[in-house]
Amino acid sequence: MRKLLPQVNWLQSVRLLLLTLFLMIGQVSFAQNEHQVQGTILDATGEPLPGVNIVIKGTSIGTVSDLDGKYSLNAPADAVLIFSFVGFLSQEIPINNQTEINITLADDTSDLDEFIVVGYGLQRKSDLTGSISSLKSEEINRLPVSDVTQSLQGRVSGVQVTSNSGAPGEGTTIRIRGVGTLNNSDPLFVVDGMLLDDIDFLNPNDVESMEVLKDASATAIYGSRGANGVVIVTTKQGSFDTKGTVNIDAYTGIQQVAKKIDLVNGRQFAELANELEQNVGNQPPYDVNDYGVGTDWQDQIFRNAPVSSVNLGASGGNVNTSYNLSVNYFDQKGVVKESEFERLTIRVNNQYKFGEAVTFGHNLSFIYFNQQNEPGVVGNAYRTYPIFDPRNPDGTYTNTSPVGNPAAQFEYNSNNQTNDYRSVGNFFMDVKFLKNFTFRSNFGVDLAFRDSKSFTPVYFVSPTQQNLENSVAINTGRTRNFLWENMVNYNKEWDDHRLNLLGGITTQTFYQEFLGGGRRNLPGEDPSLWYLNAGELTSQTNSNTAGDWSMLSFLFRANYTYKDKFLVTGTFRRDGSSRFGRESRFGNFPSIALGYRLIEEEFLQNQNFLSDLKIRGSWGVIGNDKIAFYEGRPVVTGNENAVFGENEELIYGATLTRLANPFIQWEETVTSNIGLEFGLFDDRLIGEFDYYYRRTNDILVGVPIPAYVGASNNPIVNAASVENRGIDLSLTWREQRGDFGYNFGIVASTVNNKVLDIGEGNEAIFGGAVGISGLLGSRTIVGESIGHYFGYKTAGVFQNEEQLANTPRRGPEVAGDLIFEDTNGDGIVNNNDRVILGSPIPDLIYGFNLGFDYKGFDFGADFNGTIGNEVYNSKKQVRFNTYNFETSYLDRWTGEGTSNSEPRVTNGGHNYEVSDRFIEDASFLRLRNVQIGYSFPSVALDRIKLQNFRVYVSGTNLFTLTEYSGYTPEIGGGNVLGTGFDAGLYPIARTFNVGISANF
Amino acid sequence: MQSYIKNRIFTLSFSLILSAGLISCRDEFLDKAPKGELTSDNFFQDELQAEQAVNAIYAHLRSFNVHVFSYIGITDIASDDADKGSVPGDAGFLQDINDFTFDANNTAVNGIWSGYYQGIFRANQVLANVPNIEMEEDLQTRLLGEARFLRAYFYFFLVRTYGDIPLIDRPLNPDEYRQERVSADEIYAFIKEDLNFAIANLPEKSEYAAADLGRATSGAAKAYLAKVHLFQNDFQAAFQAAQEVILSNEYALYPNYEAIFRREGEHSSESIFEVSTVGLEQGGGASQFNEVQGIRGNPNNGWGFNNPSDDLVAAYEENDPRLGATVIFNGDTLSTGEVVMADPNMGSEAKFSKKAWVPERPPIGFGNSGANIRLFRYADLLLIAAEAANELGNSTEALDYLNQVRDRARQGNPEILPDVTTTNQAELRTTIWQERRVELAMEQHRYFDLVRQGQAQAVFNNLDINWTPGKHEVYPIPQSEIDISAGTLTQNPGY
Repeated sequence: MRKLLPQVNWLQSVRLLLLTLFLMIGQVSFAQNEHQVQGTILDATGEPLPGVNIVIKGTSIGTVSDLDGKYSLNAPADAVLIFSFVGFLSQEIPINNQTEINITLADDTSDLDEFIVVGYGLQRKSDLTGSISSLKSEEINRLPVSDVTQSLQGRVSGVQVTSNSGAPGEGTTIRIRGVGTLNNSDPLFVVDGMLLDDIDFLNPNDVESMEVLKDASATAIYGSRGANGVVIVTTKQGSFDTKGTVNIDAYTGIQQVAKKIDLVNGRQFAELANELEQNVGNQPPYDVNDYGVGTDWQDQIFRNAPVSSVNLGASGGNVNTSYNLSVNYFDQKGVVKESEFERLTIRVNNQYKFGEAVTFGHNLSFIYFNQQNEPGVVGNAYRTYPIFDPRNPDGTYTNTSPVGNPAAQFEYNSNNQTNDYRSVGNFFMDVKFLKNFTFRSNFGVDLAFRDSKSFTPVYFVSPTQQNLENSVAINTGRTRNFLWENMVNYNKEWDDHRLNLLGGITTQTFYQEFLGGGRRNLPGEDPSLWYLNAGELTSQTNSNTAGDWSMLSFLFRANYTYKDKFLVTGTFRRDGSSRFGRESRFGNFPSIALGYRLIEEEFLQNQNFLSDLKIRGSWGVIGNDKIAFYEGRPVVTGNENAVFGENEELIYGATLTRLANPFIQWEETVTSNIGLEFGLFDDRLIGEFDYYYRRTNDILVGVPIPAYVGASNNPIVNAASVENRGIDLSLTWREQRGDFGYNFGIVASTVNNKVLDIGEGNEAIFGGAVGISGLLGSRTIVGESIGHYFGYKTAGVFQNEEQLANTPRRGPEVAGDLIFEDTNGDGIVNNNDRVILGSPIPDLIYGFNLGFDYKGFDFGADFNGTIGNEVYNSKKQVRFNTYNFETSYLDRWTGEGTSNSEPRVTNGGHNYEVSDRFIEDASFLRLRNVQIGYSFPSVALDRIKLQNFRVYVSGTNLFTLTEYSGYTPEIGGGNVLGTGFDAGLYPIARTFNVGISANF
Repeated sequence: MQSYIKNRIFTLSFSLILSAGLISCRDEFLDKAPKGELTSDNFFQDELQAEQAVNAIYAHLRSFNVHVFSYIGITDIASDDADKGSVPGDAGFLQDINDFTFDANNTAVNGIWSGYYQGIFRANQVLANVPNIEMEEDLQTRLLGEARFLRAYFYFFLVRTYGDIPLIDRPLNPDEYRQERVSADEIYAFIKEDLNFAIANLPEKSEYAAADLGRATSGAAKAYLAKVHLFQNDFQAAFQAAQEVILSNEYALYPNYEAIFRREGEHSSESIFEVSTVGLEQGGGASQFNEVQGIRGNPNNGWGFNNPSDDLVAAYEENDPRLGATVIFNGDTLSTGEVVMADPNMGSEAKFSKKAWVPERPPIGFGNSGANIRLFRYADLLLIAAEAANELGNSTEALDYLNQVRDRARQGNPEILPDVTTTNQAELRTTIWQERRVELAMEQHRYFDLVRQGQAQAVFNNLDINWTPGKHEVYPIPQSEIDISAGTLTQNPGY
């Protein structure tokens, strides 16, 4: 949208150009000791820039570039030329006897007239009173990401983006300004006005900009859905009356596992396993001399995997029509064998003008995904004994009990496919009427269909890894989501005033249905038989469920600006939702915000240091409605079937087993924000600083009722309360010196999360299943952060009997076992001695990036990381049996004085209680991406009719500095009550890409 | 032309705004009901739903917290008959049960509490709502009888596990959630009231249609009444109730002891009450009772919990065929031809419960086992009668009932298990107790019997287990319940 304004100025510029040219003719004839300088001025995309002012420094003499961006003027050979144009950074270039100076003007991202996408509209960036971070297509497309949300990582302050796993097609977990609820904390996504829960389907090349709405002034217009923040995505549009351009973006690369886990080798395993058996009084089962290095099972499951993306786009328009079309194919094989993700997206964004007053438009996308998941080998490769070979000499798979043979899993358990067919888009009509009014009706659609199929053949590897009957399972899901919005906008500017009013009514309905079935005993294993009808009728199972919700909303917003200096924004939304009981169905969500642009004050006019200064503050109430569709309804539990009769028949049963609370309401978040925006040195340095306080009340939580009441659930009530406070900071330095441009950016955010209330009767909410029945690693209590790790604090290892006798302990310990601290000093160690062991919430989330460009070359690097968070290495804790060992076991206790940190080797029992043994520091610094590119000069490209041609190489996840022993310290997924548990996550990949980008 | 289009557009715009406004007036737009599910608004309306709600109580008998994992822990693993089993690291809370090191946070202690009270909740739903349904009166009475029998069954297990407990006799309103504990005697009185209602209103086993096999019977209610009296040391009443069952001729010992626990023994002549399960291709009718106790290793039938103890093996008289019908030893060759190889992590001495063994693999897997859960056998009842008779000084009848059980156990081999002849009351008492142990071993009776008979302390001392009198007769009330109650609920002594 930024480009709109230069275009508006265009005609004026031409007039100015002609005028200047005439003036110059007169001047040129009098200039004698001067020589002629000429050149072409381009913008960052390689387009010629007409209307650029070129002035000889210290004079008023100058010229303006013509339609082709060319200029020519006479100037003293030692003069300095200043190139300036609204919307771009000015450049000063000494002539130094040159006769030709070609320059590229960089966008001035902090320009006053820059427009930013806000909820239900656009706003001048300078008029903003809310906290909104914006990411443009150039920054989004720079990184070769499959999921567009990944491009927010380390680039936008206040936002933590964590990949759910390294598996192809896996999504991300996004937290905006901490965790404000005990429930679903995912933000709302808005794509071209369509409100959605995910944006997995987006082709990153299609995205023009992403705006992250963080404070109430920005999000309150989304009412009951804004509390976790809002991510607005705007896709690329064509421009009216513009010559068409075609662009091709393509890259291909190779991925490899970024880091392996240090596991012991065959011989070390035999030693440890012998010791383990001896520790429980058994004979050592292995002769250590029989074993060498053995099998590294990680090598058996990992591979170097290709990834590639091809994007073809076309954009342009005539007087009445504009278009932007694209097609993208993305294919990523996983670094774990048998995993793959494929995506095809097609987008058609067109607009049609009917006279001056009426515009129709649509943004339509059609998406096809295909995903294959690895068969769950990552955890097994971690556990399988290195003393086993994958196969026996006769070629059959080795019995690797007690762990399943991962090599066999690839063959027998990876016949799964998920296909997604999706169409997301909107159709709108804009009508200008009276003088200052615009009416918009927008109809948004998200239609999704998913089918998945899996087939398991008959196989036998061992008694614990076998399947006696083959089976096929088919699951389908379909979703329809319709949004209809009708808005009226009033826009008026007069004297020193600017006023914008927006009012609207929106409705949204959502419906989804799942249908699945399965059968066994197919007559063969050929894929042509993987259909339900091939299976035995008597073995059939099926299921069919559905859910729906609807929403009706009224919204209103007023923006008022006085003298470009004083800014006021007020918003109000009233939401009604089917998810809540009739009595509590509607909620009101107001916000108010003020801004003060000090830069417009008299006393800041005559200085060169500050180029922008604004303070702003906001307050508002927003909601979170992400609860189950029918939470307030007491549902009869069906299929509680009894078995009766000589023939053992299943007789249908149903009854009430659950209690429901018909009075539940949304969670309410009250947010206050104070922000400071500044620009220094002619906006070379721009920065934004925000302090926020969010308090969520009425958080839905199951408040325990006595179990003797007999309900199978704890009814959900609006009872808990959580606060988050912190700062968001972003700084960017950007400068162009002649041909050399460079930039440096940093974002940093802190979150201080504290639970204020978890509902009457709740002393603590435990979460974070470590994978052992009854053991939970996380706790949530009042006064502390959500889901902190909670367990025993270790204080060394028992060295001898004497120490055992003199030290408080739990009971079962023997020499060589971990000492748990008697934290309350009561002389015994029990549950009451458990303490807080860490938190998955970082103290600081940061990212920084730097870039250079010189002539055609460009370089960029992106770093990101966190400080002060921990992960729970739960895969190490789960030992129902002897499994392979991490190398940390090599430092174990084997007798007095041998170790005071690593206990003797055991499976389960005391040393595997929840303790800080499994908590590891997850702070990290990652070089996310490095990229070096070269853009060919336009002179060379003209001949082959190319406007722009860039080649680049790029490396992703090149290194990660972290103490954590697992594949990656970034552990996504899980609910907020138990996050950061590494139960054997799919590893992340290091990727090397080469790519091209061309326009013609 | 231009203005014509404009007018059309404006008309369209305003009708859009109007229609959007109209939506707001329709309350139904925001009324969404659950899909494929009933809600309380449209349930308990007719005879069919009354039956369904009763069926749902029976369904609960197959659930994990009623007759599966915690159940075998509280009853067998706690006793001298069985050890925890499985591999050392798995389910540490059951090891705590075995060792009597558990506290009020123990998972089994929690599981049983909530599982059985959920059963009571289902029964109370029926008892509160079914009387209001207009339906055939005989059926209505029977359904209420079944619900009361099952409620009594749940309470009987709870009172033996925890002692004094809250008495919930109806669905509670939120303002009634705070309940105090009621003495075990009052709970027993309530149980007897329910059982007497069931005795009066339920058909005998033989009176039910074949399709209703598995429902609660009048005879089962009588048998439980006998047991309830026995647990209260009311031997006269126990004897009387047991006699009624015996004289009803509804039940008889099944000739083949081991076959009682196989498919052919389901609902046999010996069965007084058992939980019907079925392993269907599509699942949904099974229980994990057998899976959690199934052989772990080869054949891989389950999780390998509840291993018969050495002490139990030693308790059998020489050549008692019941040992082989009760215990699977590592290395045994099963009747299916499979040779048992326990998971090496369980140790070479691992044993498994044969009574929980399922020879044929159920569809889907052993978690879908259709082997019924035997809760009350006629042999149990005969031994109750024998014990009560002996306490009443009636050694003749006591010996008669006792020897009926031994005779069957003999399986036709006259060389073994000679008839007991002693009439010394104390001697006969221990003999009957011993017979109870071996006859009913691994059938989840032993721990409650040890406590009832007052021999727990001696037995556990003998096994070097620190069993504390005055404490371990009952399990602790779950700590979470005490916490929620804010002082209303008290803990059992010693916990």
